[in-house]
Amino acid sequence: MKTIAISAALAGALTLGGFSAAQAWEPTKPVEFVVTSGAGGGTDNFARLVQSIITKHKLMEQPIVVVNKGGGSGAEGYVYGKGAKGDPTHLIFGTNNAYLLPYVAKLGYKFTDLTPVAAMALDEFLLWVKGDAPYADAKAYIEAVKAKPMGFKMGGSQSKDTDQTLTSMIQDATGAKWIYVPFQGGSAAAVQLAGGHIDSNTNNPNENIGQWKAGQVKPLCVFAPEHLAKGDPIHDGKGWGDIPTCKSAGIPIESFRMPRTVWMPADVPADAVTYYANVLEKVSQTPEWKEFIKRTAQTGKFMKGKEFTDFVAKDDAANKKVFEEEGWVVK
Amino acid sequence: MITRFWAEIGTAILTLVFGLVIVKGSLEFGIGWDSSGPQPGAFPFYVGALVAAASLGTLALTLGKQLAGSPVLAESFIDAERGRRVLAFLLPLAAFVVLSVTLGMYVATILYLVFAMRFQGGYGWLASLATAFLTVAFLYLSLEKFFQIGLLKGPLEPLLGL
Amino acid sequence: MDNIANLMHGFEVALTAHHIMLMIAGVLLGVLVGVLPGLGAPNGVSLLLPLTFSMDPVSAIILLASLYWGALFGGSTTSILFNIPGEPSSVATTFDGHPMAKQGRATEALSFAFLSAGFGALCGVILITLLSGWVASFALRFSSPEYFAVYFMTFASFIGLGGASPLKTIVSMGIGFALATVGMDSVSGNVRLTFEFDVLLAGVSFLIAVIGLFGIGELLLTMEEGLKFEGVAAKVRIGDVLRTAAKMPRYWLALLRSSLIGIWMGITPGGPTAASFMSYAMAKRSSRNPAKFGKGEPEGVIAPETADHAAGSSAMLPMLALGIPGSATAAVMMGGLMIWGLNPGPTLFTDRPDFVWGLIASMYLGNIVAVVIVLATVPLFASILRIPFSIIGPLIVVICFIGAFTAANREFDIWLALIFGLVGYVFKKLDYPIAPLVLAMVIGDKAEDAFRQSMIFSQGSLSIFWSNALVGTLMAIGLVLLFMPVIGAGIRRLRGLGQARTV
Repeated sequence: MKTIAISAALAGALTLGGFSAAQAWEPTKPVEFVVTSGAGGGTDNFARLVQSIITKHKLMEQPIVVVNKGGGSGAEGYVYGKGAKGDPTHLIFGTNNAYLLPYVAKLGYKFTDLTPVAAMALDEFLLWVKGDAPYADAKAYIEAVKAKPMGFKMGGSQSKDTDQTLTSMIQDATGAKWIYVPFQGGSAAAVQLAGGHIDSNTNNPNENIGQWKAGQVKPLCVFAPEHLAKGDPIHDGKGWGDIPTCKSAGIPIESFRMPRTVWMPADVPADAVTYYANVLEKVSQTPEWKEFIKRTAQTGKFMKGKEFTDFVAKDDAANKKVFEEEGWVVK
Repeated sequence: MITRFWAEIGTAILTLVFGLVIVKGSLEFGIGWDSSGPQPGAFPFYVGALVAAASLGTLALTLGKQLAGSPVLAESFIDAERGRRVLAFLLPLAAFVVLSVTLGMYVATILYLVFAMRFQGGYGWLASLATAFLTVAFLYLSLEKFFQIGLLKGPLEPLLGL
Repeated sequence: MDNIANLMHGFEVALTAHHIMLMIAGVLLGVLVGVLPGLGAPNGVSLLLPLTFSMDPVSAIILLASLYWGALFGGSTTSILFNIPGEPSSVATTFDGHPMAKQGRATEALSFAFLSAGFGALCGVILITLLSGWVASFALRFSSPEYFAVYFMTFASFIGLGGASPLKTIVSMGIGFALATVGMDSVSGNVRLTFEFDVLLAGVSFLIAVIGLFGIGELLLTMEEGLKFEGVAAKVRIGDVLRTAAKMPRYWLALLRSSLIGIWMGITPGGPTAASFMSYAMAKRSSRNPAKFGKGEPEGVIAPETADHAAGSSAMLPMLALGIPGSATAAVMMGGLMIWGLNPGPTLFTDRPDFVWGLIASMYLGNIVAVVIVLATVPLFASILRIPFSIIGPLIVVICFIGAFTAANREFDIWLALIFGLVGYVFKKLDYPIAPLVLAMVIGDKAEDAFRQSMIFSQGSLSIFWSNALVGTLMAIGLVLLFMPVIGAGIRRLRGLGQARTV
């Protein structure tokens, strides 16, 4: 079964790229995985898992070296990627920060210094409140916040990053207004919510699951176009699939998701991009990858080629609009 | 011979410049206090200003002591003899850094160790070469092979197929 | 006592031949990464992480945790022998450990370090065993103001400690604070003080500063003096290890106090590095002859080592029970937990008792294994000092710079290490204290973040630092620590005046 799926995918990819199997490009040197987060970060887990799957299933001949370049919330890794211009042995792992960071900070790279390879999953965002909060649904919470502008605290990761962008979108869409408190990361925001120091956060499923299990926090809605995949019940008989979408719960935001992306430096051969996209596609079909996606309640969606660049263009535009409204864009 | 007075003055001027550079860099971000507390530049601004002020204080104090004829300041900071010893160590060390970024860390390690042992330590060629190559082999096996951490490489490694 | 029953069950899980082998392997690898400066425990753990994806979670965490213990021990070794802290948390061990080694007491210093470290770690684990539930709910009460208060306490205890000129102390600490602000500012999302140099995006690494200021700076000083290490002639005997062990009970007060400080800093997010600094400061302050500190006082080795390891092991509790990593290494392990399909959080203890109690049991065993292994290596390490300096000096140079590079795979860092080396040399000769610079670099940016987050919470009002009993108490303790030297000096002066009059 698996081999059929793989060869089908391979055939699809080859027709897309328009190369015959005889010309297939392959790396001749060890391949470097550049991780745009520190050790232990979400992107780090993503890259190291991909590395272990490739090694286990022998999807690549050459060994893989993982390097963390998480400085400047990932900018360091992209700048490093820019420096490897034309070198087809560097893969850069990140999120949508690849194209969003240059808007909000003066950095030594532009999005055009990167070649898109693929996106492997979409991480979801949910609206969470404390477990014993008196709000039955998102609507009730939003109404409470609207009644008391700047009286509620929304926590999340660092400023001008995904969590604050989403908060800003919710504010625009509903007219509510929060005090936004930036923490070092999602796990800190999760604990702060559990301790009752903030009123809500917009964490990814993986960041809050421990607290949800214990009933310290509860999800109100998910910023996805449809319900999440049904999984095991987590707390009080409810699981990821039971959470209403935010749109249906009264927050008119269709979707807000963070892609897990892979890039290459600029000016690399097109064959090389195709080669890595195919390897990554094979990774996305392994049981280990599917297990990881399920455990972290992300949405498994492999995108490459035009599908990926279209997604990037759309996501870029949506975020840029918020950045401009908030005045975050640097000159 | 450099006296301690000049060393104190020189260092204080350098830390003064450092403080001013930090002050200048932080002005870009606003140094005031708005509704959500200090602005991003405030903390580095005051830290930089403090460093600059303390450096000025050190300068004034040192000058004052010098005018009062403090014996400590007239002492030598470094004399020719000691300077030579420090330079004999520092120059090869700096050369090692330069070689590391040009020829790669493995080659630099071999050249540096052989130079230091053979020409400064007075060991024989055999002992020097053996130490250098054993060190490099250990680093290569433990870092490159076991932990999969690549060191800086130069033009030589690809020729050897490493 | 449910916990004791659980722990016994944990021992059943952990005490298999396979797991003991993993512990030994982990400790040995840990000592190796700990000894190489730059390549610390967080690197070691993240490098082994992919290897563990195919292991069962209990075995995996035992391997990684043992590597962590090993690295903590290894880091102290180079601190004592060469004044190069292999781990950030062993910086404070250099203050008295290295002078001891220079006096030919390397064996004694190493044995003190390892034994007190083992004691501290065991205290930390005992706390986890007995009070896990209570600590987890206590830690939930911590928010940004409380974090700031903890950092403030650490600073307050350390400031005014040395005899250096106040102006020079301010310069040194200010440089540390300024360097800590370079790079991304997470509160505002701005990149600060990089002056548009891309190499500064990631900030100035604390590890690099330490390698330069301590390691290379010390080498330059040694060369200038034309000295060989005086430890050359010292004999290394296994009996010395035992004799040192026999002296340990004498330091029971320091051990106990340092364990408490370590545990406190491990469960509040001060972390092992801050713990070791604070513990050193408290030891010096409460000592009858503080003048001996910095010149080879055993208590100056015992205090930071005990606190470092107590903090390292008790930091596992907030990691497991809350999902707050108490140290850089814990952050990497938490990533591992998620990939293994375990979700850190309050229910982990009840959902996966096998895993949690297996890990806790392995912390007892792993630390005992680690102490035995590292004590056995003492003669080996101590005898390194007998190698002539003309060989070991250049080797240390190589290891320092390779360490500087491997810390983050950045070429720029080797240049930076060289600059820090020169700064360390000049500062030491001109009596600028280096410890405040290092401490400011470690917790400066965290303290700044916590302060500004608090200000966002309170919308600009400082009264938040007295807004509840917890933060108020912490701030009050901090203020007392800050002004104690001044008050103490005042009292002494008054007493001195009184005596002068009676005479």
